[in-house]
Amino acid sequence: MFNLQLLAPEIVLSVLALALMAIDLILPTRRSQLPYHLGWISALVALACVVATLATSSQGAGPLWIVDPFSQLFKAMTLLAVIVTFLLCLEYEDLSLSQSGTFAALLLLSAVGLMLLVSATDLLFLFVSLELVAVSSFILAGFERRNRKSNEGAIKYFLFGAFSSAIFVYGLSLYYGAAGTTKLLILSQNGSSLSLWTPVLTGLGRQGPVLLLAMLFLLLGFGFKAAMVPMHFWVPDVYEGAPMPVTTFLSVAPKIAIMGVLLRVFTLLVPASGLGLTGLLALLAILTMTVGNTIAIFQDNVKRLLAYSSIAQAGYILIGIVTANSLGLEGVLLYSAVYIAMNVGAFTVLQAVGKNGSYELSAFDGLSRRSMALALTMAVFLLSLAGIPPLAGFIGKFYLFAAAMEAGRAAASSSSKNIFYALAVVGVINSVISVYYYMKIVYHMFFLPPHERSSAPAIGPYLLAVLAVCLAGVLAFGVWPEPLIAQMRISAVHLP
Amino acid sequence: MTMLEHAYLIALIPLAASFLILFGGKEDPHSPLPFVGIAAIGWCLVESLGILYAAISGAALPYAQDWSWFSFGMTAANRPFVYDMPIGVLIDGPAVFMLVVVTLVSFLVQIYSLSYMHGDARFKRYYAYLSFFTASMLGLVVSSNLLVTFCCWELVGFSSYILIGFWFERSEPAYAAKKAFLTTKLGDLGLYLALLFIFVLVGSFQIPQIAQFVSRGYMSTAAATLIALGILCGAAGKSAQAPLFIWLPDAMEGPTPVSALIHAATMVAAGVYLVARCYFIFTAAPIAMETVAWLGALTAFLAATMAIVCTDIKRVLAFSTVSQLGFMMCALGAWGLTAGLFHLTTHAAFKALLFLCAGSVIHAVHTNDMRQMGGLSKKMPLTFLTTFIGTCAISGIPLLSGWYSKDMILERVYEHDPRLFIILAITATLTAFYMFRLLFLTFLGTERDKDKHAHAHESPWPMTVPLVVLALLSIFAGALLDHHHLFESLVTGPVSPEIPHPAPPWLGWSVTAAVAASIVAAAKLYGGPHFETAQRLKAAWAPLFHLLDRRYYLDDIFLGLVDLGDRAARLAFWIDSEVIDAIFVDGWGAVARLAAKLSHLFDDLCIDRTVDGTGGLSVTVGGALRSLVARGLAQEYLMYAAVGMSVLAALTWFR
Repeated sequence: MFNLQLLAPEIVLSVLALALMAIDLILPTRRSQLPYHLGWISALVALACVVATLATSSQGAGPLWIVDPFSQLFKAMTLLAVIVTFLLCLEYEDLSLSQSGTFAALLLLSAVGLMLLVSATDLLFLFVSLELVAVSSFILAGFERRNRKSNEGAIKYFLFGAFSSAIFVYGLSLYYGAAGTTKLLILSQNGSSLSLWTPVLTGLGRQGPVLLLAMLFLLLGFGFKAAMVPMHFWVPDVYEGAPMPVTTFLSVAPKIAIMGVLLRVFTLLVPASGLGLTGLLALLAILTMTVGNTIAIFQDNVKRLLAYSSIAQAGYILIGIVTANSLGLEGVLLYSAVYIAMNVGAFTVLQAVGKNGSYELSAFDGLSRRSMALALTMAVFLLSLAGIPPLAGFIGKFYLFAAAMEAGRAAASSSSKNIFYALAVVGVINSVISVYYYMKIVYHMFFLPPHERSSAPAIGPYLLAVLAVCLAGVLAFGVWPEPLIAQMRISAVHLP
Repeated sequence: MTMLEHAYLIALIPLAASFLILFGGKEDPHSPLPFVGIAAIGWCLVESLGILYAAISGAALPYAQDWSWFSFGMTAANRPFVYDMPIGVLIDGPAVFMLVVVTLVSFLVQIYSLSYMHGDARFKRYYAYLSFFTASMLGLVVSSNLLVTFCCWELVGFSSYILIGFWFERSEPAYAAKKAFLTTKLGDLGLYLALLFIFVLVGSFQIPQIAQFVSRGYMSTAAATLIALGILCGAAGKSAQAPLFIWLPDAMEGPTPVSALIHAATMVAAGVYLVARCYFIFTAAPIAMETVAWLGALTAFLAATMAIVCTDIKRVLAFSTVSQLGFMMCALGAWGLTAGLFHLTTHAAFKALLFLCAGSVIHAVHTNDMRQMGGLSKKMPLTFLTTFIGTCAISGIPLLSGWYSKDMILERVYEHDPRLFIILAITATLTAFYMFRLLFLTFLGTERDKDKHAHAHESPWPMTVPLVVLALLSIFAGALLDHHHLFESLVTGPVSPEIPHPAPPWLGWSVTAAVAASIVAAAKLYGGPHFETAQRLKAAWAPLFHLLDRRYYLDDIFLGLVDLGDRAARLAFWIDSEVIDAIFVDGWGAVARLAAKLSHLFDDLCIDRTVDGTGGLSVTVGGALRSLVARGLAQEYLMYAAVGMSVLAALTWFR
């Protein structure tokens, strides 16, 4: 009945994480890279296990969790991000040599938290997973202890995290009051067949405002990790301060996993449209993209610029969750996958360029003269983030905006029609705005002369591998998206 | 069959080669990378020949294979469904011959260029461009999806642009490249509209599906006419038909091998090929067919007349290309699909030959001007011989390849409309005249420029070998392809269409006689050491010569139109800035200023006093607020978040 074997990858990873922490005590400094290698290899093995079950239609459920193609897909994406982060760590020099085991352990634990998150069907379990992610990320963000910015970011992150946890728990208690349980989904055995039902849906009319507030608070609690407005204030400071691989990880993995959770909770288990929260979600999406994009324009630090850009990107993905139609679901999955490739790519280039010590825009001056290949690669990622065809970002955005138009067409009342059309229009306008600041980096790379003492950024084998994979993904799925779309369609259909 | 199954590789191999050459290695006049390009195109040539062999030995044509490319949801008749856009290859008879033509000419031109372009500062890049062009051209030939065809069509145009302007340091090639690009783009507009129209109507870009749609009679004649004319528009741009041919003579500023490849054998034939590929639409639209026929005939005649007075050796050939393309178009319009494509194939051989010969001559004497040549036959015997063969082939000397195809076109056209036949027959006579004029001026007579003549020498083997190969093809291709109606059976399928009124047998011979007469005339006028008769004629017909020399003022008309547009835009700008702005903007401004002055008085006396107080306050508050936001204090962040949350909660509550 417990079906614990379903969580085998998570369990193995947790055990390994604890072992790594122990190893750290006896590991000599000159072997400091070993934990990273162990980390990415174990994540790769877990990934292989997850991918092997990707197409199996339904795998079963435990009392608090459910494992289906949808969760497997998000687990795979999380693991991919973790692998990439480990590879980036191997070429990041500011991490302390003596504690690499701890670092690797925390990263793995964080990944475990994210993987459990997308499987959870109980709010308490969700909360614990969320905290597992949060607590390990706090420490990861402040890992450069000599760097004051890193410390500052970590503290802010921690304070904000504590605040949002409180909100989440408050929402959780309200939910318990409304539903009488912390479960989002209950399995009941009718004879031989399993059936699923959602406790709150049965008494939806009665609970009224309490349930509404509960869902709003839960949404905001999730919003903290996904960096949705108004829970985004921590993002730039933390991204700027955190070690570069951690920034890459934070900008991708939690965001994607939270999108998965939101998709499951707010479109299927407790549909936002049933509660009348569609307008609010749409407002959040619009605010998230607009705030992210407009503030990004004024940033001179590329880390901060990309931080705001990632806020805006979350806004685009939210569109798919608001629309809650099949196109939107596919769009969220598709864009998440594409977003990993292009965002990781951009951050990787940034890490390579930032090796010289500066993450300012001026560090990109004349990159094309120093390393044409790197500049072109960065340009591809930025163009993809901006949604320019024929790159993968365009396909993803096209899907999301098409979902909004489709939802608008299918909507019953004219006011909800307007909401969806507004979403699409604001999304397109925001894409145009974003072109400006993405092109600012391109401008620095191609049209400004390099500084006198700057040299070509050194790229080792691991960075090169990450860049190659990301670039291949962005180009290939842009030109020939069919395999990816087909995979996403399979995963989206089996969403319970 | 395996060759057919891997037909898609033919387009992809040169593409890979072009990127390899472009990005691999350093720019070096002696770079070894061009051999990659030659090897790639050699491979494609072998594949194409394999496909041709398979087709001759009875493989089922057309061969089609599709892969899904991307899909999107759409709604038709209120039913949502997933539209699947395929990408694929469609190999039919015309495609087989086009493949062989493109790969063969490209192969020979690339070998030729080894010597012709050797030592150029951008030697490597030149080969990358050539491979890129070949890849796009082959993509155009094999694609079964008209959208992909259009993409390749544009890529071909782009390659032509960068190759014409290859020596962009000089202003003429840069200008010519721009002119070629913009002029063809004008035609592409029509093609693009036609494609959109097709998709709206048929719901597919797949050629077989469109063909089925048309053959079942779902497409009205009006729609077919509109689409066909749009396609013709694009074809006229690319295949240099009247009045869009103005770009082709200028395109001769590019390297001569490029002219041979792009502006003689392959790209300019793409228009004809596209019309042939969409022939089922044209046959459903009789008006469009007539337009094609008359446009072709008109172009053929106009270009031939202009070639007579031209003195630049490459431009004579350019006009001749335009004229021959007119022949092909006219044949297609006169229901002669086989004849048109046959001429396309043979023409590719002898025109590429003639261009490469011209290149050989230019390489030797470093000028394009025929008035500075003469008497080169002794210095360059092989070039002379091959040019002679090419000239005979294009003039339609019996049993050479041009004779077969031209004869077929003339017969076909005669059956369709005798008036068209008369125009084409005259044009054929003129063709022989100007081609032999070229031959006499260049190779025979006295050496008019002693200095240049002294330095001339026969070209090295990478240049002469392609000449010999093409010369042999110019001699035998016609007979080989006409053998047992081989070409016809492959293009139109095993069923040969019945010919209602077979042309009288005297037809072909009378044209041949006229051609012979015009050759004699050319020999009389230009064969001797002096050209008194020619000069006298020129003086007597000065206005006509001037008209032809100015290319019927078509250039001036087009530039005039552009200038007119420019003037119109300036006028509109002037109206906008001087009239509308003056009245509505400045006028309003004056009114507003007056009002502002009044209100200023009021403001100063009454309000300002109060404002000063509150103003000071708001500046303080605003500044504090700004510094608050920018301060980056965690507790403030939390406060904003809490405020935002409360606002959202309130919104939810009172919604």
